[in-house]
Amino acid sequence: MRERRRTHQVKSTMRDLLHHALESAGPAALLAAVTALAASVLFLRLRNFLYDALALAVTEAGLLLLAVGIAAGVVATRLASGAWWTWNPRLTAGLVCWLLYAAYLMLRHAVEEPTQRATVAAVVSIFAFFDLPIVFIAIQWWCARHPQPPGGPPSGWNGLWSWPLPVMVLAGAALTLVRFRREQHRRELDAQRREAHAL
Amino acid sequence: MLDTEPLAQPKQQVGTARARTSFVRQVLVVAFKDLRAELRTKEAINASFGFALVILLLFSFAFDPFQETTREISGGLLWIVFAFAGTLVLNRSFARELPNDCLDALIAAPLSGAALFLGKALANYVLVLAVELVSLPVFGIFYNVRWASQFPELFLVMLLGTWALTIIGTIFSALTVNIKLREVMLPMLTYPILVPALMASMRLTTTLVTGAPIDADSMAWLKVLTGFDIIFTAVSLVLVETVLVG
Repeated sequence: MRERRRTHQVKSTMRDLLHHALESAGPAALLAAVTALAASVLFLRLRNFLYDALALAVTEAGLLLLAVGIAAGVVATRLASGAWWTWNPRLTAGLVCWLLYAAYLMLRHAVEEPTQRATVAAVVSIFAFFDLPIVFIAIQWWCARHPQPPGGPPSGWNGLWSWPLPVMVLAGAALTLVRFRREQHRRELDAQRREAHAL
Repeated sequence: MLDTEPLAQPKQQVGTARARTSFVRQVLVVAFKDLRAELRTKEAINASFGFALVILLLFSFAFDPFQETTREISGGLLWIVFAFAGTLVLNRSFARELPNDCLDALIAAPLSGAALFLGKALANYVLVLAVELVSLPVFGIFYNVRWASQFPELFLVMLLGTWALTIIGTIFSALTVNIKLREVMLPMLTYPILVPALMASMRLTTTLVTGAPIDADSMAWLKVLTGFDIIFTAVSLVLVETVLVG
């Protein structure tokens, strides 16, 4: 009897954790998108590759957080209702936004010349950001037409101001910093290689 | 014994010509050039229309055309066909200018980037709309759908939805023109961005084609579509110089 209660506690804690991960990944990824927009606009204005590296790093970190959030959402849905996917607004909007910025990353890999790559990527980042509000509104209305399976946020959830969001944002900031430094190093090596080739 | 008059004249003419050529005229010149070039060979239109027919055929194998449920999803199917067939036309719009450095000539011409972009967008719009209007009767025949019952409203939805498709496709065609994986990157970039516009168009088309009443929901979707068109036309016009010149 006690074991059954403990298993139930573990399960419900895990479910809460998954819901927290899901609910806080969205706003953290949105923060990443805003930073990417700012970095892209600054790059196009000032033509300093620092901002390009920042945009790339923040987009990658945001995509990672969003992927974690979507995975958490999938597992939470499976635990709650037995189906692997549900077309609720958060999961659907998360998926579409993930695809938007994944296209940004794919484009960066397709262009070799650094200036062209940075310019093209900055333009795509700006387009992707302006699409976000329309995507949220459209998917909200789309999902409102269909009945949702049960599986909302657990009790004791205070919305944005509970602990998972700052944790996610800090994790994202740390990932961004690491990726940014790596990108700077990579560009330095690239520049040195070009010099060597020229000589 | 050199007479400077003939030398002075062309410069004067060019100066006044540039002043006289208004923005609208520049747009129309580029649009008619593209349309004329396309209508001479008809490569893109034929390929696009053929592709639309094939997809309609494949969808009718995937879904039973005589079931009521297929009629419910018919609006969605139609816009998937339009999006895929339209991409064939849009991909070529800037790629056509690559041989013989025509693109460089166009960018160097006394034409503002916005005029070049709008001219090409207009030409693409006319071509994609033509393909759509020809595919519509075929769609009606295959799926037994009465698309002519509310045709003016359906035409309005097609106009707005095609403009969304065209504007995003043209700006990304300009963006990806010099990239090696152009044909792969264009769909990958445009379809996620087009999700809200396609969603709205699909919902509105399904409502109109199945004869459901037009309610507040439809007006909301119409607002989403119109908002999408306005926002992305503005963003494209602001960013087009960066895209073309770098």
